[in-house]
Formats: sequence, C-alpha cells, structure tokens
Amino acid sequence: MISYLIKVLIEVLPGIKVSFQIFTFTFIFAFPLAVILSFVQITIFRPVINFFTWIFRGTPLMLQLLFFFYFLFPKLQLTHVSRITVAIIAFIINYSAYFIEILRSGIQSVEKEQIEAARLEGASDFKVFIKITLPQAIVKEIPTITSEFITLIKDTALVTIIALNDFLRLIQGVVSRDFRLEPYILSAIFYLLISYIIVKIFRKIEQKINFI
Amino acid sequence: MKKLLLILLTLSTLILSSCDKEIDTIKIVKERGYAIMGYDNTFAPMGFDENNEAKGFDIDLAKEIEKVIGFNIKFQPIDWNTKEAELKTGKIDLIWNGLSITEERKKEILFSTPYLKNRQVIVTNNENINSINDLKNKKVGVQKGSAASAAVSSHEIAKDIDLIDPSTYTLVLQELKNKTVDAIVIDEVMIRYLMEKDNLNYKILDENFGEEEYGIGFRFNDTEFKNLFDKALSDIRGNGKAEEVSIKWFKEDLFLIK
Repeated sequence: MISYLIKVLIEVLPGIKVSFQIFTFTFIFAFPLAVILSFVQITIFRPVINFFTWIFRGTPLMLQLLFFFYFLFPKLQLTHVSRITVAIIAFIINYSAYFIEILRSGIQSVEKEQIEAARLEGASDFKVFIKITLPQAIVKEIPTITSEFITLIKDTALVTIIALNDFLRLIQGVVSRDFRLEPYILSAIFYLLISYIIVKIFRKIEQKINFI
Repeated sequence: MKKLLLILLTLSTLILSSCDKEIDTIKIVKERGYAIMGYDNTFAPMGFDENNEAKGFDIDLAKEIEKVIGFNIKFQPIDWNTKEAELKTGKIDLIWNGLSITEERKKEILFSTPYLKNRQVIVTNNENINSINDLKNKKVGVQKGSAASAAVSSHEIAKDIDLIDPSTYTLVLQELKNKTVDAIVIDEVMIRYLMEKDNLNYKILDENFGEEEYGIGFRFNDTEFKNLFDKALSDIRGNGKAEEVSIKWFKEDLFLIK
C-alpha cells in the first residue's frame, strides 16, 4: 500500500503546488492588507471597513469564490484572468477581513493611557498606530492568528468549486478512478503536516517575542 | 513525528479496511423497505431537482419500476464526483442518472441492461471551432467525473487541451456562457433538452466524442439485485409505461429495451 500511496503522491504534486500557491500568497498579503485597512478603520472610514468585514466574514468563502469567478470577473470583462489569480484575490480579501477583526480586538486591549501619552508627546496617528497599538495587538493575538493560518491551509480545498485542481481535488479524482479510499489518508497527513509546521513556526515567533 | 505518521497510517488503514465488508443489498433493502438511488440533481433531463422534488426521465422510470419491483426507491442527491465511494460504502444501493456505460466503469460498477443511447457532443459558441482538431490549445469544459470527461481524456487530443472540470453541469454551462472555456463536451440528451428549454443558441458539432449507452449502476457483486432491475426494466416496457415516460421527456420512444 505504501508504494501505491507514493505513486499517488507523485501524481497529485501539481495539486500540492496549487494549494501552496493559494496558501503562500494569502499568507503573505492578507495580513499586511488587514494592517493597512485597520489603520484606515481607526482613523477615517470606520463604517466602510465595518461593512467590508461584515460582507466577507458573513458569507461563505465558497460563495465568494463562485461570485468572483462566475459573476464579478466576467461582468468586468476579465475572463482572461487565470482561475488561480481569481482564487488568490478572493482568499486575500476574505482573510484580510478576518484579520481586521482580530487586530481590532487586539487594538482595543491596548491601554488608552499609552496612546494619550504618545499623543501628548506630539506623535501622529500613524506613528501611534505603528509604534504602539499595532505591535501590542499583534503580540496579543498571535494564537488567534496561528489558528487562522491553520484554517487557511484547510480552506484552500474550497477552490475545487471553481474547477481548480488543488491537492484534495486531485486526491478525489484518484479515489474515483482507482475506486480505493486510501488516498484520503494521504490528504489527511498532508494537512496535518502543514498545520504542524505552521504551529511550530508561530511557537518560535511567540517565544522570540516573549523574550523581548 | 515519524511515530505520529505511523500511528495515523495504521489507524486509517484499519478504518478503511473495515469498510470493505460484503454488503447484502437485497437483505438490507427488504429490511429497510426501500432502496436508495443516488443521482446528480443537476443533470436535467435525466434527474434533477425542481421545487425540492426529484424530476426527470430516469426518476420517472424509477417510479414506474417501484410499482413492479416490490420495494420503494428513495432518491438521494449525490456529488457525481464521489458516486463510486457512495456506492462502495453502501450509502446508496444504485446509481441511476444518465450513467454512461464505459469500459473503465465496468471494472468497478455492475451495469443493468442499457436502456438509452447517448452521444458525447461538442458544444461551442466559438465560430472557429468546427471539429475535434480545432479544440487544440483551447479550454474545454466537462463535468468532473463524467463520461464526457473520460471520453475527452482518453482521446489523443487530450494532451493538447486545457481541460476545465467543475463539479456540476450548471457550472460547466456557466463557463461556456462566460466564455471562460471555448467549448464544452456534454451528453447530447442533456444539451438538446437545455437548449430547447432555455432558448440557447449554441453550435453542436457533427464530430463528437463517441456514442454510448446509459445503464443503471450497482455494486460489483450485486448480480442478484441487478437482475431484479433488469426484469423490472423489461416489465415496464411490457406494460407500456417506459414508452409513456420517453414520449413525455423526448417526444419519441427512445427506450432501448424491447
């Protein structure tokens, strides 16, 4: 059976690439986007950002993928944009909505006195955000952010709805072709392994920060 | 880490091997009082949902069969892509939904007598596509796990085609409408029905990916259970009901069993 699973693994490598691409781009861009939008939120456009997070946290990600690929992009005459790009855009937007809310709870827990003191010293809104509120918010919310990234690797399987051959989809293809259920074990190990690595990385980060 | 993997592997093997038990379908169906028929609820006109109710040619045939076979049939919508797992693990007892009889599937699924003919046709809104050869370097949509998908994949042109395979027919058709694919390959029975119903103006090419027949699918060892259905199929030909159903959906008698 092991040799069969290895054969399957080689066959589904392109799917691993797709899952990783979505994961990596979202991992890299969603959080910075959330940071920028958080700043916008606490300074000027609060209702706009609140509306944004309400929409993207309030609807299923699968529905957003369907909407982006089958409705929004064709309506904008953007049918030449590749499937994976559309998926990545939807993921980044969706995850940034979650991160905005996570950051918001972290930001609210920062003592008001610190901010007022900084203001008295003449620090700008931006400086207060970057130097005082944001770092503390991030440190406090690291466990939540970690579990968000674990959710992300599992969520990549949702792209199957727009016919993108991610890892789980290719596994499913093998299952229905070979009529054997063992490849599902492979998929379980894959997701467990990735989430294990994510947890390890964030533990390291947490330790580093606690030493400071 | 290695130990963890080993534990996971052994555990899952145990779980999976316990699923492979023989299933005594006739006994289960008699006890339960009904058989469970899996169908893809987006596959009009064979089986689809309308107002939360299963409708279609295959569904109507199944309803006629219920009357002669001695037990009821429950219609269970399934994901077409996992139909084999559903059948194998006993979640459903038969697959009946424009299921094309293919050589590949014959290795895993036991088929009833064929009851309808079908072709896998190429449908496009691109005027430059007029033959299979024109599909080279084009995006071609098929439903994942469908006979169309198998027909295209096993054709020599497959390596030059960018195959796009959403899991439902609704999405395959949407891809064609949005022009995110250049052509689709689909059951002729279905596309003719949809084009007439929705007034769609697509081109169906003369060249196609082959003719085939539809059959009801059963677990590989369920010969006895399958024979009940074969007999019932000829019974509904005998009592004229099959002809009635065919005329209702296709305006002519296409039912193959004489």
